[in-house]
Amino acid sequence: METIGGLISGFDIALTPINLLFAFIGALVGTAIGVLPGLGPAATIALLLPAIYVVQEPVTAIILMAGIFYGSMYGGSTTSILLNLPGEAASVVTCIDGYKMAKKGRAGAALGIAAIGSFVAGTIGILGMTLFAPAIAGFALSFGPPEKFSLAVVGLLMAVTLSGHSITKGLVMMAMGLLLASVGLDPISGKTRFSFGVIELQSGFDFVTLAMGVFGLGEIFIGLESAIKAEVATTKVGSVWPTLKDWAESRMAILRGTLIGFFVGVIPGGGAVISSLVSYAVEKKVAKHPEEFGEGAIEGVAGPEAANNAASSSSFIPLLTLGIPGNASIAMIFAALLIKGITPGPFLIQEHPEVFWGVIASMYLGNVMLLVLNLPLVGLWAQLTRVPFGIMAPVIILFTVIGSYSIQGQAFDIYSLIGFGLFGYLLRKLKFEPGPLVLAFVLGPMVEQSMRQSLLISGGHFSIFVTRPISLALIGLFAVLAVGQAAFLVYKKLSTTN
Amino acid sequence: MKRVIAAIAAILFASFLLTAASTAADVFPSKPITGVVPFGPGGSTDILARTVEKVWPKYSTQPLVIVNKPGGGGVVGTEGVVRSKPDGYTLYFGYGSGHDVVMPSLQKMPYDTLKDLAPVARLSIHSVVVVTGVNSQFNSVKDMVAWSKKENKPITTAVSVKAGAVDLALTSLGKAAGIDIVTVPFTGGAEATTALAGGHLMIGGGHPSEIMSHIKAGRFKAIAVALPERDPSLPNVPTLREQGIDVATWGSIKGVAAPAGTPKEVIQYLEGTLKKVCEDPEFKKTMENLSQPVMYQGSEEFGKFLQQATADYAAIIKRLNIKID
Repeated sequence: METIGGLISGFDIALTPINLLFAFIGALVGTAIGVLPGLGPAATIALLLPAIYVVQEPVTAIILMAGIFYGSMYGGSTTSILLNLPGEAASVVTCIDGYKMAKKGRAGAALGIAAIGSFVAGTIGILGMTLFAPAIAGFALSFGPPEKFSLAVVGLLMAVTLSGHSITKGLVMMAMGLLLASVGLDPISGKTRFSFGVIELQSGFDFVTLAMGVFGLGEIFIGLESAIKAEVATTKVGSVWPTLKDWAESRMAILRGTLIGFFVGVIPGGGAVISSLVSYAVEKKVAKHPEEFGEGAIEGVAGPEAANNAASSSSFIPLLTLGIPGNASIAMIFAALLIKGITPGPFLIQEHPEVFWGVIASMYLGNVMLLVLNLPLVGLWAQLTRVPFGIMAPVIILFTVIGSYSIQGQAFDIYSLIGFGLFGYLLRKLKFEPGPLVLAFVLGPMVEQSMRQSLLISGGHFSIFVTRPISLALIGLFAVLAVGQAAFLVYKKLSTTN
Repeated sequence: MKRVIAAIAAILFASFLLTAASTAADVFPSKPITGVVPFGPGGSTDILARTVEKVWPKYSTQPLVIVNKPGGGGVVGTEGVVRSKPDGYTLYFGYGSGHDVVMPSLQKMPYDTLKDLAPVARLSIHSVVVVTGVNSQFNSVKDMVAWSKKENKPITTAVSVKAGAVDLALTSLGKAAGIDIVTVPFTGGAEATTALAGGHLMIGGGHPSEIMSHIKAGRFKAIAVALPERDPSLPNVPTLREQGIDVATWGSIKGVAAPAGTPKEVIQYLEGTLKKVCEDPEFKKTMENLSQPVMYQGSEEFGKFLQQATADYAAIIKRLNIKID
């Protein structure tokens, strides 16, 4: 009953003109950047972080950021299908069958099923969040310093191992993020570390500047180098309404994708990208005609697109209940909440019900807006890819500079922005994934502090991390996954050499 | 690569323009004022600052914007204010907190608290309350001391920040009672009380605005007040002295400061505005709901008061031979 009451009050907040407007802006911007290759949700939220200083109410700021995040999951499929270019990372697998469908003249059906699948999964994901998040928040109080330490560390390691990229490079990124986070004053004793006498460094690097540099500028610099060229599969989209046969084929794929996405999204370090990969693999396994995969199977579009939307909703659960962000985009929203004076955690629902329920309610509305934005207007979005990069890049760069300067009004932040931008560019050149770095930078102080708190409680015994059940279970879960993945890799290697 | 270099050149140029354009206008205030809270959101200082933020626009032409810069027990955010331009647009909310009046007696500071900051006004003083979880076996300080001595075990304690007013009060309690109190610092009162509510520590200390909601919700019980007199918002809770432990502190003083060197007229303007805020009925009402007494003092008086408080804290630290590493 409490849930229903909360949700109703949430709609009261979400339906105010200003919040409705910002949910719409979020959905619009999200779709746009989802469509545009080379600019993902994490980068966009990073670029827009300074804007939240202007927005009055915290809930409005979060509604905007959340809208961008889940909106990009819709937009991402468009370019995957039409141009064979994933608009953002979670739509990489959509290219495989989506582009083939478009080449066969079935672009409309592919786009349609992607949007409908996204809508169904997104809505079910939020429903799951509405039902389970309050229960999880009640359970969240049992997360003390040792549990927080284990969860944060396991989350970081999962982000590294599950990303599908090189684990070694991921670990390097994680270590760098932790190292960057340790610059400035010691979070417990207040002593200065790694400042090298630079006054501005005594308070550490600014998160917004780091995120805008590494994600935003880094991607722009790479984009400048390789002007994106793509072969348009078709300019004629045709009817976006799937046929009865399409619907029958993809119905179960959408449901399976939703479930996979929901659970992968809740896991720290999980999220939209991984869920879409898992969903594609599952669909291929259970399909009656697996040979159609890669040749334009509609399940190969419906499943992953459903999964990445469900995951984008459910990844809000650990943030809003435990105060622990699971991936880079959510980490930005975590920072935004802190900037607006709200600590996400077990008491968020009680102390800031307007934020909790307002954001959830706005996500229901946002998904409806996205369906309307995406189904009839999909042809229009496809035109967006024609905006020359030479126009877009300078505009974005100007905004990042103004943004980083406006936070503290010191020129030092602009120089560090450029530094981080160059750093982000180098990382991409050397094929390092910046996600774990940013996540580690955000989680770093939490990891350090919770470890030192745990050791104070235990009187200096490290056994505290394995004698408390939740902490042990988290470490165990990671061990099982890591061993499983290692076994799978060895098996794959052996079977290919034979 | 060429394009990357061109882009960087453009950024440098843009940043040059920005810095050049940021010369100040003459009449104060001509732009929003930033109030830095050096603790995490939701703690007692943050709640106080945000209450001021709400009422402020009634008495000033420019808004007050509160930002949180937690870390290092409050030193991170305070140092940011110390190093900012002394033009009155960057203020420090919480002047008189533990890291201002307690920490300097315990460790080297990166700035001089009394000399590098100019007092603007005092707003309130927050008492320090010792609490336990509602299911705890400790119903008084006596219970706790007896248990610790009998079991020969330390008492783990949640405190908002290291070397803060709460940390000092609890550490003094341990010293005076002859038991080992291990204080576990967090990034602010909200985090510390959440950890205590989860049962991860035996006792905790906090200010009324942080613990009241937990007491009302039946999660905490208060067992002592570490001030010379009882807290009016908790009339049934005895002081430490009443329970036979000779420890009484100033609590946590909450005032506003500007960087040293801020023009006198600007300080006067801010002082006057804060006085009006403190007399505002809406402000008073909210403070009462938060169990925070309004205790306004003007710039000069507040400066003297702080020197006294710092000396008193130094005396306690010396008397009980407290070291915090």
